[in-house]
Amino acid sequence: MLRTATSRLIAAYLALFSLSTALVLGVFTWQSTALIAGETRDVLAAEVEGLAEQYAAGGVLGLAQTIARRLDRAAERDAIYLLTDGYGERITGNLAAWPPTVRAGGAPIELELYRIDSERPVMVAAVAFRLPGGERLLVGRDARARALYERALWQAAIWATGLAALLSLAAGWLLSRFVMGRIGEIRRTASEIVAGDLSRRVPLRGTDDEFDRLNATLNAMLDRIAGLVENLRAVTDSLAHDLRSPLTRLRALTAEFAEPELAPEARERLAVRAQAEAEAMLRQLTALIEISRAEAGVGREAFEPVDLAALAEDAADLYAPAAEDRGVALQLSAAPAEIRGHPQLLAQALSNLLENALRYAPEGSAIRLETGIELGMPVLRVADAGPGIPAAERARVLQRFVTLDPSRGAGSGLGLALVAAIAKLHGARLTLADSRAAADRPRPADCPGLADCPGLDVTLGFPAPQRARIARNSAGPTP
Amino acid sequence: MSRCVLLIEDDTTMADYIARGLGEAGYAVERCGTGRDGLFRATDGGFDLVILDRMLPELDGLSVLRSMRAAGIRTPVLMLTALGSVDERVRGLREGADDYLAKPFSFAELAARAEALLRRPAETRDETVLACADLRVDLATRRATRGSREIALRPREFQMLAYLLQRKGRVVTRTMLLEALWDYHFDPQTNVIEVHISKLRKKIDGPGEPPLIRTVRGAGYKIDEPG
Repeated sequence: MLRTATSRLIAAYLALFSLSTALVLGVFTWQSTALIAGETRDVLAAEVEGLAEQYAAGGVLGLAQTIARRLDRAAERDAIYLLTDGYGERITGNLAAWPPTVRAGGAPIELELYRIDSERPVMVAAVAFRLPGGERLLVGRDARARALYERALWQAAIWATGLAALLSLAAGWLLSRFVMGRIGEIRRTASEIVAGDLSRRVPLRGTDDEFDRLNATLNAMLDRIAGLVENLRAVTDSLAHDLRSPLTRLRALTAEFAEPELAPEARERLAVRAQAEAEAMLRQLTALIEISRAEAGVGREAFEPVDLAALAEDAADLYAPAAEDRGVALQLSAAPAEIRGHPQLLAQALSNLLENALRYAPEGSAIRLETGIELGMPVLRVADAGPGIPAAERARVLQRFVTLDPSRGAGSGLGLALVAAIAKLHGARLTLADSRAAADRPRPADCPGLADCPGLDVTLGFPAPQRARIARNSAGPTP
Repeated sequence: MSRCVLLIEDDTTMADYIARGLGEAGYAVERCGTGRDGLFRATDGGFDLVILDRMLPELDGLSVLRSMRAAGIRTPVLMLTALGSVDERVRGLREGADDYLAKPFSFAELAARAEALLRRPAETRDETVLACADLRVDLATRRATRGSREIALRPREFQMLAYLLQRKGRVVTRTMLLEALWDYHFDPQTNVIEVHISKLRKKIDGPGEPPLIRTVRGAGYKIDEPG
């Protein structure tokens, strides 16, 4: 029992709570008894002083008379006196004889004495001294009432401490039941996940307390893990699927290659085709690995300030001749837009977008490459006047291995998926829309109506630099 | 004098492939299969180039590289990596590799890069005027002429021509150009570099003039004296 964290916690809580209660009450009781004792001493001192005056005025006789008078008064029931002569013979008072433990001239003491009028010993606070004539005088107070009061006080303190301990035990038990209950939920969920059901989630109670928030965070983590696992599964599935056909073709090619009576030219052609197949597969593999890495957040640690305008200028510079060859104008409008990012991956994303645009832009049209700040957001846009992507298909084309128009060929179906993964890595929003470039372009011959050729605007909206930094921090430790 | 290459690669198929190719190209190749062994031989010295795999048993490639550099060995190092992501390449260069090549690569690419690393000291000579046949490129004034004809080049075309001329007679691959001129450590799908080269060719080779930039099939380009 003591091994569980909660029982240890309860024990500590109990000890601390009881100790502090005992301490508070102890100090309180001690203080009040000390106060009462002090008061008794004061009364005794005053009395001694009064009696000393009587002795000075009327000698032993006067003193004895005063004492006798006081003893007669009902109000002085608690008072104790004893006056003896120099030999210890009693002159007057309500004690039978001088108690042997009391020395005249000592400090005030407390002791049990038998009064003349009482069968049982009583607690007495007393002070004794020797008078100038050799007589001894003892003045005391019956401390019974005070002792009772003190005892009651101490008892109350002990009871209260015990009760407090009991209460804290109960409170601790209730608290631990609550905590254990919530932790138990997490543990049960975790065991179920360990057992193989990755879809399990920790229940939320809607109280928005620490536990609910912890559970929500855990669930978000589980969602992310499930997403990554799903991704991985999708990657392996589609990889297996996608590499199967080129591998089959490759096998066929090599089988053909092994034919003994093959003309050298034919052999060479086969080798070239086999090489092309292998190249295509390797490209896909590289792209898939880049996508997975970006989606897993790898590369964030290499973020640095990047000017989208410079990035666009470099890319435009690289692609302008190729565009020109295809009869397409590459129009650059680059306004400065600073972000934090991975320059290589961003360049790769932009290069993929430009290659897509080049693939689909009709001859005679223009591709627009724009950077700048729009509504406070650094933006990178590639717009073409090609056939565009129907609104219903836009989410789908961002997935791996999805190509809309197989007749256009060439595409691996990974270009936009990589762009999407890189956007996600940068916390950027990727939007596909009908192109504004399409509206004012020279109408190409193979696209007579605007409706047939809405063009495509691909926009990457980046978080503003300081927000980018926060997104990076909140993403937690990167592997 | 044949040049000595130390090949540190644990994959025997890959090592055979590289060693055979380098041997045919006239290099003396020494092979070893573990990082520890490789580091030991590299510190022996006497090599003109080290080709170092990133993933090795016993001591990984980056550690070998770091230890070599720490021991003051300046031999050029060409790193090889399996399916190198962009980050991997940049990291290798940062750790002191002179060049980085991602598997899979064509042998032509490896040969071009090895050649470039072996000849590097020559580049450091501060030539300001580069020439090939009657083509002259002045790096100081940024002028290019062919015979008496002035060639108007855009800045990137000028850089490309200068890069080729500095490696006259040697193969320059597409990826080398992309890395050097655009700092792109990935392969665009489109034949962008081919288009750039063909534009450059049109500018420097006038009608009737012998072409200077040659295409080396499966590898890249080479500028050389005609003949």
